[in-house]
Formats: sequence, structure tokens, C-alpha cells
Amino acid sequence: MTPLGKVYGPTPAQFAAEAVRLAVADAGLSLADVDGLLTSSGVSGGISIDLQRDLGLTDLRLLSHMQAYGSTAGAMVQFASMAVQSGMASVVACVFADSPLQPERNAGAAYGSRRAPAGWWGLLGASGVVGANPMYALAARRHMERYGTTSEQLGHIAVAQRAWAALNPAAQLREPITLADHQASRWIVEPFHLLDCCLVSNGGIAVVVTTADRAASLAQPPVHVLGWAQAHPGRYLRRDPDFGLVSGAASAGPAALAMAGIDLTDVDVAELYDCYTFTVLLTLEDYGFCPKGEGGPFVASGVLGPTGKLRLNTGGGQLSGYYMWGMTPLSEAVLQARGQAGARQAPAHDIVLVSGNGGVLDHHATLVLASAAAAQ
Amino acid sequence: VSGVGPLARDAATAEFCDAAAAEKFLLRRCPAGHASEPAVSQCTTCGQTDLHWDPAGGGATLVSWAVSWSRPVAGEPSRQTILVIGELDEGPWWWTQLAGDPPPAYVALAAGCRLRIEFRRADADHEAVPVFVLA
Repeated sequence: MTPLGKVYGPTPAQFAAEAVRLAVADAGLSLADVDGLLTSSGVSGGISIDLQRDLGLTDLRLLSHMQAYGSTAGAMVQFASMAVQSGMASVVACVFADSPLQPERNAGAAYGSRRAPAGWWGLLGASGVVGANPMYALAARRHMERYGTTSEQLGHIAVAQRAWAALNPAAQLREPITLADHQASRWIVEPFHLLDCCLVSNGGIAVVVTTADRAASLAQPPVHVLGWAQAHPGRYLRRDPDFGLVSGAASAGPAALAMAGIDLTDVDVAELYDCYTFTVLLTLEDYGFCPKGEGGPFVASGVLGPTGKLRLNTGGGQLSGYYMWGMTPLSEAVLQARGQAGARQAPAHDIVLVSGNGGVLDHHATLVLASAAAAQ
Repeated sequence: VSGVGPLARDAATAEFCDAAAAEKFLLRRCPAGHASEPAVSQCTTCGQTDLHWDPAGGGATLVSWAVSWSRPVAGEPSRQTILVIGELDEGPWWWTQLAGDPPPAYVALAAGCRLRIEFRRADADHEAVPVFVLA
């Protein structure tokens, strides 16, 4: 990964190229070994398959730009895994980068004002429904209404992730916060306080996918991809009885675990996509960490944070760590599975469950990763 | 509570905007009688593409709500906009603000509240925007 956060200057394409160079070197490979490249861009765009030329990669056997919003990182690893399994390619670099932040411009502006005031999108914007915040807030409110979930319960997620971030040198926000801080933070869109919402970050992250045989002789402990699945419910801006109550995680999670041949009790570490605190709560329910509707009491029960028994979003996630879409949970999962997470390393880290969520709870990707020891 | 924003029409929304100007909210209806959200190109129930515009009755039920707070500016109070999902009596959902004068007391909102569609404009140069009000 490149430096992340308020890092000004590089374009998304420059961040992406640097992330690939760093990941390839980290693996003990050279760019000449790369024969597959999957690219993904964020809100500021600027990344395409032209990255091949930027990196001087010639004679690739796999090249594509992918977009499934926050589920893209997981999806890239899935396609890369299938590519190396089939022999289509042998070393596939998967990269995401973004640089929405500009000096002297607030983070909200970086993600707002991109809707043209015409057409159906313009109609939504003119109505006041602008960007992701209102849509996720409407989802969270529906969950609250149906199950009695509270803002304080969501706050437990924010507080726990900040405690994890304090242990992560790469995290943008490392000062501890309390539940009272969460409650006192300004409203963004009720029921979300500021501390329910993710950061905005500049930077790039890449991972390298290759065969298990080849990975065994490379520079880093291999991380095995044991299972994966996607789910795309497809009901965005349509009547949706599941809205705010059940997401694609409910089908992708069990499918990925089944592919890996394990169940939830085998999971040592969970890195769950956290554009908002609520996304974590819903994914916990959908994956089965607690029964449907009991996510609120579950996250408030003391299971979270470095002293809790559930190792969840151990790098601080996107709320307190860095906002690199699906690469945030994926990068922390890789570090945990390798046993390289420093002060925040989970003592047991054989099986790491990773989620990616995109759109408004409308695209989901799950990965089941395993340490080298667990895969044997 | 802030009002609606400026809106221009495009080819896809022209008929919807014409009807909105006459205070009618158009849905898409298929030959089998299913109602779909106005932006669809095929029926959300049966997939038929032979759709016609059909005015909704204007009644709806509250599905969910949220309150958007404007970014604080020194010396000015934050503006609040109540945003809601309404389930139209015909079935489709719609996302817009909950208007009212005086502004509705959102602490009293609950799923199932009855709503009614009205229309507001940012100004005379812009298209009418559907909003909900408490029925």
C-alpha cells in the first residue's frame, strides 16, 4: 500500500502504479513476472487498463477494469483466483486507488456534488436525497424501527474500531473516543452521527494473486483463498422488502464458507466493510455472528475492540483507519493472516473472513482467507 | 427545513415532468396492470416492456425516514431536511423529502404513517419535484 489519507499530489493512476510496484516487490517478484492486471477506481476515477502501459507491463494474459463499488476488491481477488486456477494467468495484480481529497476542500465536498441536476438522478438530488449518507441512514432507520436498534449500539462499533486504530500506525484517526464522543458528534444524516461515517482517503492498495505452489516460494507468508461468493440483490431504488434489514451478505457469506468447507465458528478474524457503523452491524447479522435483529445488543455486549472476543476490523476499518473501499478490509485481512499486524495482531489468525459491500447494500463480495498453517 | 433543489428535465423524464407540472405523479404500468417505479424500462413484476404512464393516486405509507443536517457554518443554524421512503398505494417506493409548513415533528414519525404526494419547485425556472407531506 502507498501512504494513505491526506496525501496530496499523486493522481489516482499514479497511486495505482505505485501500489502495484510496492505489492509486487513485497511478494519478492518483479513487474516482469506479472501476467495479469485487474484495476479498480474510486469516486475520482482516473484509473483504467492504461495502467498496463504506465507500469510497462507487456504481453499480459489477463487485463480488465472492474467496477462493483465497494465489493470490487473482493471480486478482483475472486476473478484473479479463477484465472490462476485455470492457468489463464499466473501472477495477477489487483489494484484500487483514489484521490478525492484536495487541500483546502472538506471531505464531504470530495464525495458530493457529482450529480447532474437533470434526469432521474437529478430528481433524486433535487428531492434532497444526495449521495450515500441519506440512503444508508434510511436503511439504518428501518432496522432501528423494525428491531429496536439504537444509535448508542452503533456507537459501540465506532468506539471499538477507534481502539483498534490506535494500534495501527497506518490509521488516519488514532485518538481514542468514547460512546459519549460518538453521541456528541454532529449529525450528518440522522440516525448517523459524524462518527458513524467512514473517512475519505487518498492512496492506493494492491494485492498479488498467484498459485499456492508459486506463493510458497515467494518472499511473504502465503495467504490462501479458500472460498468466495458474491451477491447482487439488484433492488436499488426499487421496492425492496429487505431494504435495511437483509443485505447480499446473507447469501454470499454462507456460500463462501461452504466453498471453504468451514463454518462461522472456524473464523478467527473478521474484516467487514464499514462505510458506516450500520453496515458492520447488518453484515454481522447476515453472516450469522448473531441472530437477525440482534445486532444491536450483540455489538453492545462487549465482544468488540481489542479486549473483546470477536476480532473485528482490527485495523480500525474505514471508520478510523483508511477508506480504500474493499481494499481496506482486504489489506488488513492479509496482514492478519500473515501474522504481520504488529500490536493489533490477533493471536489466532488462521481463518480470516472478509467482506466488501457496494452501492447501497446492493453489491456484496465475501472472501475466506487462510494462513499458510491453516491451509496445510 | 430546506426546500427542493433546482431540476432540469431530460428525454427520459420529460413526460414525468409534464405530469408533475400538473401535480400528477406518474408510474409505469404494464399490460398486466403491474405498477413500477417511474424510472424503469421494464415491469419490475413481470418484465414486460410495453409500459404506459399511469397517474398514481397520491397516497403513500412511510417506510423509513432520516434527517439530513447541512454542514455547520459559523453564525448560521444547520438546516434540516427530512428524507423519507414512501410506499405508494400502488406498490412502488419513492425517495424524497417530507415537506410541510410548519415542518413535521420528525420525532413522532413511525413506519406506517400516512403520506400524500405534493409538488414543489426551487423557483419558476425549474421543474416541479414530488415531495411527501403527512396526510
